[in-house]
Amino acid sequence: MIELLNIRKTYYMGEAEVHALDGVTAKIGDGEFVAVIGPSGSGKSTLMNIIGCLDLADEGEYRLNGRLIDDYTERQLSEIRNREIGFIFQQFNLLPRLTAYQNVELPLIYQGLPMAERKKRVMESLEKVGLANRMHHRPNELSGGQQQRVAIARALSTHPTLILADEPTGNLDSHSGREIMNILKELHKEGRSILLITHDHNIAGMASRQLTIRDGRIEHDSAAGGAP
Amino acid sequence: MKISQAFKMAFFALRGNKMRSFLTMLGIIIGVVAVTLLISVVQGATGEITGQIESLGSNLLHVSFTGMQPTHLTISDLEVLEQNDAIFGVTGVVTRTATIRAGHADDDYSVEGVTRKYQDITEQVVKRGRFISDIDVEAHTYNAVVGIDVATELFGTENCIGNTLDIGGFDFTVVGLLEESDTMLANKDSTVLIPLTTAQRLFKYKDFDALYISATSPDTVDAAEDATDDFLIRELGDDDYTIINQSAIIDVMNEVMSVMTILLSGIAAISLVVGGIGIMNIMLVSVTERTREIGIRKAIGAQRSDILVQFLIEAVVLSVAGGVIGLMISYIGLQVLSTAMDISMSMSLGTVALALGFSAFVGVVFGIYPANKAASLKPIDALRYE
Repeated sequence: MIELLNIRKTYYMGEAEVHALDGVTAKIGDGEFVAVIGPSGSGKSTLMNIIGCLDLADEGEYRLNGRLIDDYTERQLSEIRNREIGFIFQQFNLLPRLTAYQNVELPLIYQGLPMAERKKRVMESLEKVGLANRMHHRPNELSGGQQQRVAIARALSTHPTLILADEPTGNLDSHSGREIMNILKELHKEGRSILLITHDHNIAGMASRQLTIRDGRIEHDSAAGGAP
Repeated sequence: MKISQAFKMAFFALRGNKMRSFLTMLGIIIGVVAVTLLISVVQGATGEITGQIESLGSNLLHVSFTGMQPTHLTISDLEVLEQNDAIFGVTGVVTRTATIRAGHADDDYSVEGVTRKYQDITEQVVKRGRFISDIDVEAHTYNAVVGIDVATELFGTENCIGNTLDIGGFDFTVVGLLEESDTMLANKDSTVLIPLTTAQRLFKYKDFDALYISATSPDTVDAAEDATDDFLIRELGDDDYTIINQSAIIDVMNEVMSVMTILLSGIAAISLVVGGIGIMNIMLVSVTERTREIGIRKAIGAQRSDILVQFLIEAVVLSVAGGVIGLMISYIGLQVLSTAMDISMSMSLGTVALALGFSAFVGVVFGIYPANKAASLKPIDALRYE
């Protein structure tokens, strides 16, 4: 359960103030598949970073699973990123010197899982994205679509309840993009919450709910049938 | 995260940048080689010199007279001093350099007039024949005991008992041959020993040039020195003499050597610190280069401590590996030096522990700042870094 109340985030670029988020209020329930849609510069990535505990809001309240985010310690936030949230980035963000297997294994190492358990989970995740036969390849030996699938496997390996995907198809051709979206839809069916960020209306249409964001404000919420 | 995983990651990262890792280690390698070689060489040399001084007899006191006036000491005066409980024996000697002839060969040698006691006090070993006896001294005989170099140079053989040699126009009969000395400092190989009384008559000198005094044990050397001092002040009425205490020489030498060890290892330690700064420099570069990696690791759930430990271990592995390689180079270097210089030099366990401990310490001290810098990066800033 994600509850946002009047979230503000301001960046300073030299003299100019940029209001990346200018009072965002929203509620996303467990198991929802939500697309956040908006043009570039609308603040949708900032929103995802705040929801993903990568960044903190300047103002407003963000409750994750009922608890105010400010009440979590740094250590607990790391654990949330590790166990509760799976990140999928536009740039894939795989470690270039590690193989697909090692990349997927990394969050499990930080959990301190024993080797046998790690191996089981890594194989399970790689099989789910159809890349078990590519596990000893490094990212630069894989296509963009394959790299993104490795990134999804990495996000899945910890069995998170929430998947945050920031333009996951942004760097992919339409065929690979469709593959990725199919995997996301499947994950939704399994009961995970998915927050998808995109500027592409076709892709946003695959989600069950659309939040349109513009100039740091939520302009339209398909669930509410209008502005919140 | 388990610590074994952290080590794996560190090795992986260092292996991926072999040349850089090696160059970074080089500073530590040179530092450790400098520290261990210098300490081991100084320790080896100290052992060698101490051994030579000790082989003189650490019970031994040597008195030399520095005054212009004759001392008028006699053998019976020395017997008074010998009564002291701390003193085992006292002997006076007359020492001159003289040209010695045997057949057609001749050369300059040191001639020493001695008594029977001289053998026990200075621990001379007779290889052939006998030493100067009490009868020789009482009867002013023309008997001589020669060092091994004298025998081989003048007679061409060690088998020289009964041969005649000429000192200042007097014929002496060789009655004994001394064992070759294994020390440089108490070397009598090029000396001819004759009865004290004969020497005093030969050189027209009624006095002693020096006294050898041995204490009953190494523990009584200081008491023997005090007794000798009192005796000489009383007998001579002045302090125109010098008492050399062998254990005092060793003490002074050990002190000099330990000061040298500290000084040299201090200088060498500076190179270790420079090596440590090299590690810090490279680790800082590495943190900057890997900012995005740190961001990714944090995004997928690495704790601050995980990142800290990862980079700290990289620094410590670099410095300790440098230390180990440095120790191996030093070990080989010492073997070569020992053989070349014919002095036994080895690394003591303390030196090894010091070198390893110090390089690990350097790794931690100079690794903690870059590691902390990496660990305190905010995940979003690190992820956005291009």
